[in-house]
Amino acid sequence: MSSSWEQLFFQILLLVVFCRHINTKTPGPTPPPLVSINSPLPTDIRSVVLKGESHTESVELLNPVNLTLECTWTGNQNKLPNITGFWRKDGDEVENSRLTVQLENDQYNLKRVFSIISEENLGNYSCMFESEAKIDFVLAAPHMHEVRDKPIVSYVGDSVVIVCKMEETKPKPSTWNWYKANGTDKEQIFTAAEPLRYEIKNDERKTKLVVYNLTEADGGLYYCGAVYAINTTMGLVELKVINFTEPLKPFIAITVEVIVLVVAIMFYERYQSKKNYTAGKGMNDQTNTLTQGENNEPEEGSSMRQRKV
Amino acid sequence: MTNNKPKVEGRSDEAEGPDGGWGWVLVGALFVSTSLVFGLMRSLGIFFVEFVQYFEESAQAISWISSTGLAAQQFFSPLGAALCNAYDARVVVMTGGVLAGLGLILASQATCLVHLYLTMGLISGLGWGLIFTPMVATVMAHFTRRRTLVLGLAFSSIGLSSFAFNPLFQWLVEMYAWRGALLILGGLSLNIVPCGALIHPQRHSKAPAKVDSENRSSRASVLNRVSSYLELSLLLERPYITYTLAVTLLNVGYFVPYFHLVAHSRQAGFSEYQAAFVMSAAGATDILGRIMSGWFSDLRYFRLIHLLTMWTTLAGVFIMLLPVSSLSGSYTALIGISLLYGFCSGALTSLVFAVVPMIVGVERMMGGLGLLQLIESGAGLLGTPMSGLLKDITGNYIASFMVAGSFVILGTLTMATLPHYFSCTDPLPPQRRSLDEGLHSELKLMNSVSSDKNHKGVNDLTDEVTKYPQDC
Repeated sequence: MSSSWEQLFFQILLLVVFCRHINTKTPGPTPPPLVSINSPLPTDIRSVVLKGESHTESVELLNPVNLTLECTWTGNQNKLPNITGFWRKDGDEVENSRLTVQLENDQYNLKRVFSIISEENLGNYSCMFESEAKIDFVLAAPHMHEVRDKPIVSYVGDSVVIVCKMEETKPKPSTWNWYKANGTDKEQIFTAAEPLRYEIKNDERKTKLVVYNLTEADGGLYYCGAVYAINTTMGLVELKVINFTEPLKPFIAITVEVIVLVVAIMFYERYQSKKNYTAGKGMNDQTNTLTQGENNEPEEGSSMRQRKV
Repeated sequence: MTNNKPKVEGRSDEAEGPDGGWGWVLVGALFVSTSLVFGLMRSLGIFFVEFVQYFEESAQAISWISSTGLAAQQFFSPLGAALCNAYDARVVVMTGGVLAGLGLILASQATCLVHLYLTMGLISGLGWGLIFTPMVATVMAHFTRRRTLVLGLAFSSIGLSSFAFNPLFQWLVEMYAWRGALLILGGLSLNIVPCGALIHPQRHSKAPAKVDSENRSSRASVLNRVSSYLELSLLLERPYITYTLAVTLLNVGYFVPYFHLVAHSRQAGFSEYQAAFVMSAAGATDILGRIMSGWFSDLRYFRLIHLLTMWTTLAGVFIMLLPVSSLSGSYTALIGISLLYGFCSGALTSLVFAVVPMIVGVERMMGGLGLLQLIESGAGLLGTPMSGLLKDITGNYIASFMVAGSFVILGTLTMATLPHYFSCTDPLPPQRRSLDEGLHSELKLMNSVSSDKNHKGVNDLTDEVTKYPQDC
C-alpha cells in the first residue's frame, strides 16, 4: 500500500516539476521544451556547412517535429583546438546550450535537437561559434508570395473577389481561414453567420473570399490564413470601396473636352467657309450665284450633294 | 499648282492627292484614331486578368472578347466603306467614334460575360470598323507622293500608344477598378469624334454613273447601287483577288509572334522580365520600321509592290528563325532576331494599304480597303488558334513559328503572281467606268473644273485654289 502511495507521490512530484517548466511563461526566451517521451514526433535534420562568417537558412515546417539542427564550421585562420559554441533563439541565448567544441577533421561541429510543436517554437535559431561565426535557421510555416501590394478597388453595391494563393512549390495548407481586421485584432469571417454577404471557396492551394453587396464599411484590411499543423501563415489584402461618382468625374471632364473640340471645329469651318465665300465673291461674279445655293448649306450633315450643272 | 489639275488626268495614278496642307491635319487625326482603335485593342490584356477573377471564367473565354472586337472591326469595314461611298465619310467616322465609346461605356456596367461580348466586342467593334477604313482611305486620298510615309507615321501610333496605354490602363484599373477604367476609356474613345469632324464633308456621293432615273427605286438598281458602294465588282478582278489572297495568307502568320513570343521565350528558359523585354524590343523596332519604310518607299527607288514582297519575305524568314535562335539558348540571338522581325513586320504594314490604290485605283480605294479587311479577318481567326493547337500537339512553339513563317512566305509568292509583277514601272490602275460612262464622267470632270475654282466650300482642293492666286 505504501509503495503505491510512494509511486503516486513520486509521479505527482514529477508532474509538478514538469508543470513548473511548462507553465512559466517568462517574458524572456522560452527555453525549448525537453523532448517528451510519450508522443513520438517525427524527426528531421537540417545541416549547414559554413565557410565564411555567417549564413541564413530558411526552414519550412508544416507539422510538429523534432528538429536536429547541425552546424559545421571550417574555422578561421587560427584553428584553435577548442572553442565555445552555443545556441540562440530569437536573439536570446538558449539555456544550457554552451558547449566546448573540438576541432575534428579540420571542422567544428555543433548539433542540437529542438522540439518544434507550436507557434512559439518557431523563430530564428542561431548557432554561434565563439561570436565569430553564426548560422541562422529561420523556422517558419510556408509563407505566401505577396499577391497584391496595391489595394483591391470595388464599388458600393458591387461584389468583389479576394484571392489568396499558395505557390505550387510550397506545401498545401490543410485549410484556409479569412479574417477581417478590426482595429488591431482580427475577426474571423464565418460564412454561416452571414451567408448573403460572404462566401468562401477553398481549393487546395487557392482560396477566394467573395463579398456581396459592398458598403463603405467593408473596406479595410483582410487576412487570409493558410492553416498548417504547426502554425497559420497570414497574407494581407487591402480592400477599398469607392462610390461610382469617383470615375464619373474624369469621364465627364473628357466628354466635355470632346464636345468643346467638336464645336470648335464646326465653328472654325463655318468661319473659314464664310471667309472663302466673301473672298471668292469679290473675285468672280455670275458663275458664283449659280452655285451659291449649295455653298451656304450647313457643312455638317449627311446631305448628298449633287452638282447641279 | 499641278496638284489642282482636275481629274482629267485620271489616267495616271498621280491624279489625286494635294499632298499637303489640310492633309497633314488629317494625318494627325488618323494618328489619334488609330491609336484609340488598335492601340487600345492591344492593351486590353490588362483588363483580362481582372475579368478572369471577377467573372470566374477561363482565360480562353475572356480572350474571345478581343477576338470578337477585332473580328467585328474587320467584318464591318466594307459597311463603313459603303456608307462613306453613299454618304459622308465625316458622319460615318463620327458615328463610329460614338459607337466605340458607347460600347466601352456600356461594358463598364456589365454583369456577365455575354454583356462584354456584346458591348466591348460587337458595338465597339462596329464603331472601330466604321472608323478605321474610312479614315485610312480619306488620308490616302489626300496624298500621293508621300502616301506611304504618311501611313507609316500614322500607324506608328499603334506601337507608341501601346507603350503609353499599358501603364495608363494599369493605373486606371488600380485607381478605379475595371468598371471605372472602362468608363474612362469610353470617354477617351469619344475623342475619335473630333478627329472625324476634321474630315471635310463630302461634296458628292460616289454613286455609280449609270443610275437610271426612271426605275430609281427598282430592286435591281438598288442592288446595283449597294454593290457599287461595296465595290463588289472588285471581287471579280484578278489583281485584286490575288492581292487579297496574298494579304490573307500573310495575316495567318503575321500575328503569331505577337501572341506567342513571350510564352516561347519563357519556355526557352528566359526569365519573365527577359521575355517581356524581347516583346518590347520588337515593338520598338516595329515603330521604327513603319516610319523608315514609309519614308524609303516614297523615295520611289523601287516599286511599292517589290518593297512589300521584300519586307514580307524577310519577315517570314525571321519568324522561322525565331525558334531556331532561342534553341541555341543565346539571349542575344533571340533579341537580335526579334528586333529584325519587329522592323520587317512594321515595315510591311505601312505598305500593305498603300499598294491597294495602285491595284484598284484611288476612286475604288475605300471599297477595296473594306473588302480587304473583311477577307483578311478570316486569316486572323485561323492563324492564332492553329498555332496554339500546334503547340499543344508538339509541346513547343517551333512548329507554330515555322508554319506561321511559311504562310508569310506563301503570301509573298502569291503576290509575285500579280500581273506586271516583274516590270519596272507600275501598271495603270484600271479605269472604273466603261467607255460610254466615260463620256459622262468626262462631262462631270469638266464641270468640276469650272465649279472648283468658284466653289467656296470647304473642299480641300478649293482650299488650295484660294490659297494661291487664281489662274484659269
